[in-house]
Amino acid sequence: MAAEPAAQAAAPVLELRHVAVAYDRVPAVEDVDGVVTAGQSVALIGPNGAGKSTLIRAVLGLVPVVRGSVTVLGRPPAAARRQVAYVPQADTLDAEFPVSALQAVLMGRYPRVGFVRRPGAADRQAAEEALAAVGLVERASARFGTLSGGQRQRVLLARAIAQEPRLLLLDEPFTGVDALSQELLLAALRRLRSAGAAVVMATHDLGLAHLACDEVCLLNRHQIGFGPIGTTLTPERLRATYGNQALELRGDAVIVARP
Amino acid sequence: MTDLLIEPFRLPYMQRALLEVLLLGVLAGAVGVFVVLRRLAFVSDALTHTVFPGVVIAHLLDRSLLLGALAFGVLTAVLLTAIGANRRVGADATLAILLTSFFSLGVVLVSRTSTYTADLTVFLFGRVLAVDRADLLQTLALAAVVLGTLWALRKELVLRAFDPDGAAAMGYRTALLDLVLNLLIALVVVAAVKAVGTVLVVALIVVPAAAARLVADRVATTTVLSCLLGALGGWVGLAVSYVVSVDHGVRLAAGATIVVVLVVLFALAAAAAPVRRRLTARAAPR
Repeated sequence: MAAEPAAQAAAPVLELRHVAVAYDRVPAVEDVDGVVTAGQSVALIGPNGAGKSTLIRAVLGLVPVVRGSVTVLGRPPAAARRQVAYVPQADTLDAEFPVSALQAVLMGRYPRVGFVRRPGAADRQAAEEALAAVGLVERASARFGTLSGGQRQRVLLARAIAQEPRLLLLDEPFTGVDALSQELLLAALRRLRSAGAAVVMATHDLGLAHLACDEVCLLNRHQIGFGPIGTTLTPERLRATYGNQALELRGDAVIVARP
Repeated sequence: MTDLLIEPFRLPYMQRALLEVLLLGVLAGAVGVFVVLRRLAFVSDALTHTVFPGVVIAHLLDRSLLLGALAFGVLTAVLLTAIGANRRVGADATLAILLTSFFSLGVVLVSRTSTYTADLTVFLFGRVLAVDRADLLQTLALAAVVLGTLWALRKELVLRAFDPDGAAAMGYRTALLDLVLNLLIALVVVAAVKAVGTVLVVALIVVPAAAARLVADRVATTTVLSCLLGALGGWVGLAVSYVVSVDHGVRLAAGATIVVVLVVLFALAAAAAPVRRRLTARAAPR
């Protein structure tokens, strides 16, 4: 991935303007407003049903925006998909599916390869490099389902890396992930960001949000805060986000009780 | 063994039947892999019943059975995709409604003919020994269309089966891919109607693929194995039904014998799967 020129690096990758998204005319999330620039990483934080996944689907152009606007690299989301990679939660995928780790990563190249044709040497190399970036080269030919939860999550991140995205969207990437996988995921995300990609991740884990992100968007059906993680993630806002599920310890540390 | 596998096929009608079941075995085996990966066995089952009225209408109007079956196959594929998209109804209820209503329509139509039971049996269970040159060419043409489409869209269909959200996020129109696969299943059913009838096709589609799925752990190897098993089941089933019927005087229906052989192959694969898994586990580095 080529380094972005300084002027372009500050350009917005994702612009959310008073966004409201609805499923079957029932609003799922409203009033989301913020900008993500190249190299930035934003944590979407909120309880289950807060609208985090819905917002991610809106940025992918998979659910219609009923109010406001979502702009990805200056274009409507559906027109920017080639520049966007999505990392689903690994345990939502069929563990018995007959693909190897490398084949799963190679899928990230399919939009470039196009119909009919088979992936070429360059695609294969990109997939192998992406697998190396998450520390899984030696497991390339293992069946996806035989890998641990953390390794599967790393394979899916590698697939996203192989897409060479300028915007990366992750849904709960650290859920059920072992410590080693967590370290490797964080390192790979840092490299992507330093290469100029913007990152948006939905997460429950405030500690990991601090490690992986510099910005935060607090959500509970509507936006409670959007800004630098240090100043935005206050105990008051967390209580507003999580209601009585939030617990305060020693003044500033906050634990969120999961339902 | 040669007596069983080669000898019966000296007669021209047996040669045509053999070619037909080999073609169908490969065709259904290939489509079946996607049916099994997507867990669409019930969809195939529904399709086999919904093309039935198409076959009956074509028979009553003295038109090509293929065209009748094709029209209803396409109609079902479209209705499935359209009604199934309504989340209040859901895919399973849609299937049950289409299956029973279309099948009843077929039975009602066929019950108006004077040769009711005989006609019904032919449509439901096929008559592989009556396959002629034109039928063979028709199957060949359908196989070319279906296998060509599968080949062209293999990457995208696998991706959609593995990770539907991921495929949609990459910009693939998953509803369109689903419609294409439903149409391909319908075409296989259409191709197989004359030879094995509408009821037994589902076994041709699902059983070899499910057996291959048990022992292979790549899509490519699963597909090759599924096609081979489908063809093998057709061959052995046809030979067994001939030998038992002619040499031993016990009449065995060819289509049903093929299905029984396929199920035996499935049982063998199910028995072999744990052994294979233990071997690969020992061969793996950790």
